[in-house]
Amino acid sequence: MAATAKKTEDLSQFGQTVIEGKNVTKVFGETVTALEGANFDIRAGEFISLVGPSGCGKSTLLRLVAGLIEKTSGDVKVNDDLVTKPRTDIGMMFQKAVLLDWRTAIENVLLPSEMKHRITQEDKDKAMASLELVGLKGFEFHFPKQLSGGMQQRVALARLIQTGADIMLMDEPFGALDEFTRERLNVELMRIVGELKATTLFVTHNIQEAIYLADRVMVMTPRPGKIAEIIEVKFERPRDISIQTSREFNIIIEQVRDTLGSH
Amino acid sequence: MKPVSFLISFLKYSLSFIIVLALWEAYARYGGLNELFLPRPSKIGAKLYSLFVKVEVIEQGTIYWHFYATLAQMSIGFAYGITIGTTLAVLAAFNETFRRYVAPYAVVFNVTPGIAVLPLIIAWFGFGWESKIALATLVCFFPPFINTLTGLLKKNDEAIELFQTIGATQSQYFWKQQLPNALPEVFAGLKLAITTALLGTIVAQFGSATEGVGILMQRFAFRLDMAGSFASLVTMAIMGLLVFTIAEVMDRRIVFWRDAKGLERVSKKKQRKLMVNG
Amino acid sequence: MSYSTSQQTKNISLFKTLPFHLLIFAVLIVIWELTNLYGFEDQIQADMIAPRPTNIVLAMLDIFIIDKTVWKHLISTFQKALLGASIGTAIGMGLAIAATLSLTFRKYIKPWIILMEATPRIAVGPIFVALLGFGLWSAVALAALVAFFGPFVNTFQGLMEVDEEAEEMFRSLGASRFQTFWKLRFASAMELISAGWKLATASAFGGALVAEFIQASEGMGVLIAQYVIMITMDYAFAGLLSVTIFGFILFKIMDYFDYRLIFWKNDYLLLKESEKRRKKAGIV
Repeated sequence: MAATAKKTEDLSQFGQTVIEGKNVTKVFGETVTALEGANFDIRAGEFISLVGPSGCGKSTLLRLVAGLIEKTSGDVKVNDDLVTKPRTDIGMMFQKAVLLDWRTAIENVLLPSEMKHRITQEDKDKAMASLELVGLKGFEFHFPKQLSGGMQQRVALARLIQTGADIMLMDEPFGALDEFTRERLNVELMRIVGELKATTLFVTHNIQEAIYLADRVMVMTPRPGKIAEIIEVKFERPRDISIQTSREFNIIIEQVRDTLGSH
Repeated sequence: MKPVSFLISFLKYSLSFIIVLALWEAYARYGGLNELFLPRPSKIGAKLYSLFVKVEVIEQGTIYWHFYATLAQMSIGFAYGITIGTTLAVLAAFNETFRRYVAPYAVVFNVTPGIAVLPLIIAWFGFGWESKIALATLVCFFPPFINTLTGLLKKNDEAIELFQTIGATQSQYFWKQQLPNALPEVFAGLKLAITTALLGTIVAQFGSATEGVGILMQRFAFRLDMAGSFASLVTMAIMGLLVFTIAEVMDRRIVFWRDAKGLERVSKKKQRKLMVNG
Repeated sequence: MSYSTSQQTKNISLFKTLPFHLLIFAVLIVIWELTNLYGFEDQIQADMIAPRPTNIVLAMLDIFIIDKTVWKHLISTFQKALLGASIGTAIGMGLAIAATLSLTFRKYIKPWIILMEATPRIAVGPIFVALLGFGLWSAVALAALVAFFGPFVNTFQGLMEVDEEAEEMFRSLGASRFQTFWKLRFASAMELISAGWKLATASAFGGALVAEFIQASEGMGVLIAQYVIMITMDYAFAGLLSVTIFGFILFKIMDYFDYRLIFWKNDYLLLKESEKRRKKAGIV
């Protein structure tokens, strides 16, 4: 765990801690250690990428924060509150868009509001605005199957925005998309997160994507799943896609690869 | 499909029917088909004409009465069958103990050809409508049961996680995700059930009945009136097609999200509705 | 935590649950027996509606061991059903193969198939009985007619659902149409085809029984109907039970063949099969 606090981090630009993990361990069954002794501290408005190969416990960590699974030991806190059950003050996005096929885009976006109360005009206006924000104006009444994979993920993002949650957990949301779509959505996600000032935990196995989006990249290694290193990414925001070819960017890539390779 | 191309394909397909019928007729007329076995189409046609247009009375009723009686018996049996089947399925889906200890009986029950119970059913329920309804119920409850259960238990981990993080209650999850998600399977089960219910009704009528298309068929066949038998068969085919079409249309309407055409239709409708409402 | 329609059916072994299954079954039987004894005012009515399980067991003993009446009928019905299922399967699969190979054929049989699907085919029973007599062949014909549909639909669906990339791969290898058909399409459709055989067997039983009910000289349909007419309901139940038991055994056998045939869907069988093939190739 030495790597965690090795660097002096300049986090002054962010607010106070909203997600905190202390020595979090998750064991599935009797023997499969998915996550071991993870420590993390995520500030308000920060964008954190979790990167690593399959089976390194990224998704487990995300689900522990969401309260979807129970920890074996250690503590996970969100807003100074111990996570014990599924939390509704966070929003989630999955690798699949998880849209209801029998509902139009806007009806899918309205789903979170329906859970709380009857749909009002205000909800509808908000949903229209969310869809516009993700670039789907004019597609409100299309059904998921009439949309491309990238557009389906945009609807899922709009649905996340609709929850009003200021913590966003994303589990490889662009993992099933082609490179071009992924790149475009990365740029848009950056813009949207910036506008909403949301705190984001973003799981991916794509190193470029992880670095491009993040303020800090948590590099994870498998068997057992561990946070091996946390790397700061200090590019100015908003970031242009062209930074991906810069020298600094490639140095960080090398750093991530070294960490992953040495395990 | 455009109306014109539909018409062309319809003509093309009906042509194959017409050709088969024409060959059959010609063979009967000039070849020497034993009409004791297979009557020529024109004779079947004549019988149908006398049944449907001249409204000949047979077995104390017109063909319309027999048609109605069969459909009514089938519908009641179908209604009972799907009620029993889906209720059991919902119980089994929500209660693991029930699923483990009771559902196997339904499966074993299904191995017995439901039709084998016919003599007992007639002994218990008599020669009236009740025995037909009972057999229809018995043979048709299984497809809705097993399909609804399969549909409700469809693996859907990510959707569950999504509904948890947006704070859905159990009943919200059921109504907004689990049930609609199961509908394709449910309707496939209903389509199977409706044809088996018709089959059960007709078989029960063979056993003994005073009305119904099944008994018409039986009487004509035993009198070796083949034109009459085949006319009853055509009547049953019409009935079958009718029932099948109703089930198919309902399926397409309700589970619209399966094909592109359905999606487009509903999507446009919703958009129009929005424009009217402002 | 999860919504309580638990996808996670816990894997409790049969060993643990079996006692409970037996207990529930025993309780049901006892309730049934008591209902017969005390639930009705009139004993004749009681035996008519719910004959006592003990009497049913005695009736089973009688028809199987003492009087041995059931065997002749059981064999007759099984013979009709299995013959019908085989003929029906051959016809169904033949049509399906033709329909997958020829687009024209597919187009032209489509309306006929819809018509056949919608018509309650079992309704042809009286015609068959009138024409083919009370013996074996009317029942076989009806069984075949109702049985052909399952294998037809399943074979057709299986053959049409072939993976497009795999087919391209075969084409790039210069495989003939015949080779592609057997080595790719038929093999990958095997699972559905085998399920179709089970469907055929199940419906063939229905067809054979209905033919027997209509009119026949022997068979379980005749036997059960006779017992009912004589108002010996315990014997009728015993007859019904014999059909269930032997039907169940037949299906279990078919399930086993299905399981062995499609070995690549099962990890354990895969292991065994690969071992076998390694030995056959002489590699230790």
